[in-house]
Amino acid sequence: MPAEVTSEKEGAEKMAPEQELILEMKGIRKSFPGVDVFTGFDFDLRKGEVHCICGENGAGKSTLIKILSGAHTPDGGEIKIYGKKVDNLTPRTAMKMGIQTIYQEHALYPLLPVFENLFAGNELGRGPIVSRSAMVEKSREVLKCLNSDISPYEIVGNLGSGEQKTVEIARAFIQESKIMILDEPTASFSQKETDHLLGLIKVLSREGISIIYISHHLDEVFKIADRVTVIRDGQKINTYEIADLTEQQLIKDMVGRDVSAFYQRECCTIGDVMYEAIDVSGKGVTHASLMVRSGEILGIAGMVGSGRTELAELLFGVQPMDTGTIRIRGKKVNIRTPLDAIVNKMCFITEDRQSSGLFLIHSIVKNAVIASYAKSKMPFARPSDDVKLAQKYVKAMNVVTPSVEQKVVFLSGGNQQKVVLAKWFATMGDIFIFDEPTRGIDVGAKEEIYKIMTGLLKDGKCIIMISSDMPELIAMSDRIMVMREGKMVAEVSRKDEICEENILNYSIGGGV
Amino acid sequence: MMTLENKENTMSRSGFARRMRQHENTPILLVLIVMIVVVVIVEFFLKGRVNFLSGMNISNVLLQVSVTGIFALGMTMVMISGGIDLSIGNMLSFLGTGMAYLMKTAKWGETETILIALVVGIGLQLLMGLIISRTKIEPFIISLGFMSIYRGFTYLITNGREITIIGKLEFLQAVVFRINKFVVTVPIVLFIVLTIIVALVIKYTKFGRRVYAVGGNENAAYLAGINVKNFKLLIYGINGLFVTIASMTLLARLGTGAPVMGFGKEIEVIAAVVVGGTAMSGGKGNVWGAVFGVLVLGIISNALNILGVSPHYQFIISGLLIIFAVVVGYYSGLRTVKRSVKKA
Repeated sequence: MPAEVTSEKEGAEKMAPEQELILEMKGIRKSFPGVDVFTGFDFDLRKGEVHCICGENGAGKSTLIKILSGAHTPDGGEIKIYGKKVDNLTPRTAMKMGIQTIYQEHALYPLLPVFENLFAGNELGRGPIVSRSAMVEKSREVLKCLNSDISPYEIVGNLGSGEQKTVEIARAFIQESKIMILDEPTASFSQKETDHLLGLIKVLSREGISIIYISHHLDEVFKIADRVTVIRDGQKINTYEIADLTEQQLIKDMVGRDVSAFYQRECCTIGDVMYEAIDVSGKGVTHASLMVRSGEILGIAGMVGSGRTELAELLFGVQPMDTGTIRIRGKKVNIRTPLDAIVNKMCFITEDRQSSGLFLIHSIVKNAVIASYAKSKMPFARPSDDVKLAQKYVKAMNVVTPSVEQKVVFLSGGNQQKVVLAKWFATMGDIFIFDEPTRGIDVGAKEEIYKIMTGLLKDGKCIIMISSDMPELIAMSDRIMVMREGKMVAEVSRKDEICEENILNYSIGGGV
Repeated sequence: MMTLENKENTMSRSGFARRMRQHENTPILLVLIVMIVVVVIVEFFLKGRVNFLSGMNISNVLLQVSVTGIFALGMTMVMISGGIDLSIGNMLSFLGTGMAYLMKTAKWGETETILIALVVGIGLQLLMGLIISRTKIEPFIISLGFMSIYRGFTYLITNGREITIIGKLEFLQAVVFRINKFVVTVPIVLFIVLTIIVALVIKYTKFGRRVYAVGGNENAAYLAGINVKNFKLLIYGINGLFVTIASMTLLARLGTGAPVMGFGKEIEVIAAVVVGGTAMSGGKGNVWGAVFGVLVLGIISNALNILGVSPHYQFIISGLLIIFAVVVGYYSGLRTVKRSVKKA
């Protein structure tokens, strides 16, 4: 059965003439300094449908949400809501029109009770006097309607992740939302919480609310979607009725050309053991041991909060170790501060480059040289040498920038990440810890980062790589260790069939 | 997207004019030049002669700004590294009256007095730096506390009275050279030499480059191997050195240790540094900008005096001019941002 593109209004009407279109986007264009996200994007939404949007990281999903919620203004194109053309969508007008966005992170007041959260900004009552009883009553009603037994008096901070999401949905529901956008709502959910949420979404769509649902979990998509739109590199690849779509087709559309997801890394000669951490304990980590050889990538898998980043911070001296021995090339070393780590030729590419990797208001030069200062005891710096060093790495890594004096804040995510890499390469380190090296980076730049990593291996360096992007982790790693609740629970090497199911099983502790 | 050759081409063609246009000190320098021109024209039309540019007046302005300028050097480093110090004005009163007390009442010699002032000045700033760097408390409030403590000690030392010193610290008043009525004294030379030293240190040492890193992103600076805590401590210690030197210089010039000698100085210094382009949020700024800022503020009050504006109006006008200078800086900053976004 041919999967029909339904981006055109006529097309949609032909297929389902009874379906009322609540939202249409045509020819949306949007670019940021350094990247064009959308170059003519079309999208439509029917009344009461669950429309899933699938795409890899950096495909443009979050930009789409931000345009719909009014946070970003598109550079061009047309948005129609209830058939009426809308210009200048702001967060305020979007909400007035009934577009409610529920972001991945909770946007609640954790210290206030549920009912206060539900009516924050829209308190019930007469004039300036609020009526607590009316709000509690209405809360009870709405929560019941959503099949939830949360008490209106419960303090939100005491609720679990899934319950908090329910509260957010209830809040959007109370504000008479017509279009509800859910951005990866189940990212940190247990299976039970996910099931509950999916049930909730069915309830909402029966109430006639249209839902845009974004998720990386394909099984969820197949459980709830009426239609699915696949985005890749800011282009709409296709919109499918769920009945016409198979999982294989969906993955093929999402990945497109075979980069990133199935990136083929060159094999490198693996040498002697370079780095060993034995019995490391500290904040968030208990008795973890690992070892990496030169020319090798050790992947570290695990769910968010399993202690991966905490482990990296212990190894790099950011947090103090309670117990543990570190050996580099067989020699025991003491690492108590990042300075010690750098002196011992370690490099740490952190998870959040903006908050802990970069000096955003500074130039590429200033960013690139700062860590290399820790290497020598000489007190002097030569600006001309610094510029040369920065130029060398800008060229080697193909950073797109008008000059090395450009402030880093104006670079795209991929180029910013390259500047972080330049900063560490300039220290001439040997042991690299990458924490989510390609988060928020577009597909092309990802591949470049992978190539740079492979280059490091060829030079006989070693890499410890933490990543939540499973295909990336599998493609890049020689071995993968899995963390759960601060412990190393398993090690899988290539021969044991590194595969997604295997790793997931270990990281959630399932016995399936 | 530009190709690499393209990039290099535009870089080499850009030349001096373009670099000047984009330099962060250009706005404040422009404000300074415009101000001088305006003052000269106004004075010429009002009085028919230009006293403002006379040798005597220029050396007068330089002498007046030198103390604020020396303060500004320390404050610039403190502020680029992300801190602030509100205590310097009252610290000036404390050190000034304290030195006067030691020399006049306790009959100490000049050398001992200077040495103890340096030890106390640097030591107290290190103490403040220790608290600021070891806790996450805002430097604003810590230094506010120190400000009040210094004021109290100042009154304890002086009992509210002025302490006049005669024939002391005269070397800080000595004339280095003179051309007719253009007289260059030690404070001016001290200011210029210290400025050059600080500018060189900031540009050509790792310490200097790291000041920006610590102020730009403390977290990233720590991960890049900088001992952020000790670094901040050091910065406040250096600030103590500059505060002490400036206090001695002012005491020598006034010849009197007065409790009020430093009141409000911190605001004057911070204003000059910020007018000169240093960000209150840290990570941005430079010494030459601060020097221009000090000159702008110094010239404002000098010019208003020369033009015979009543002191009451002077406050209003200098306030307006400060705001004007900062607004000019803000808009030219925006323009540079837009331009570089377009290029990227």
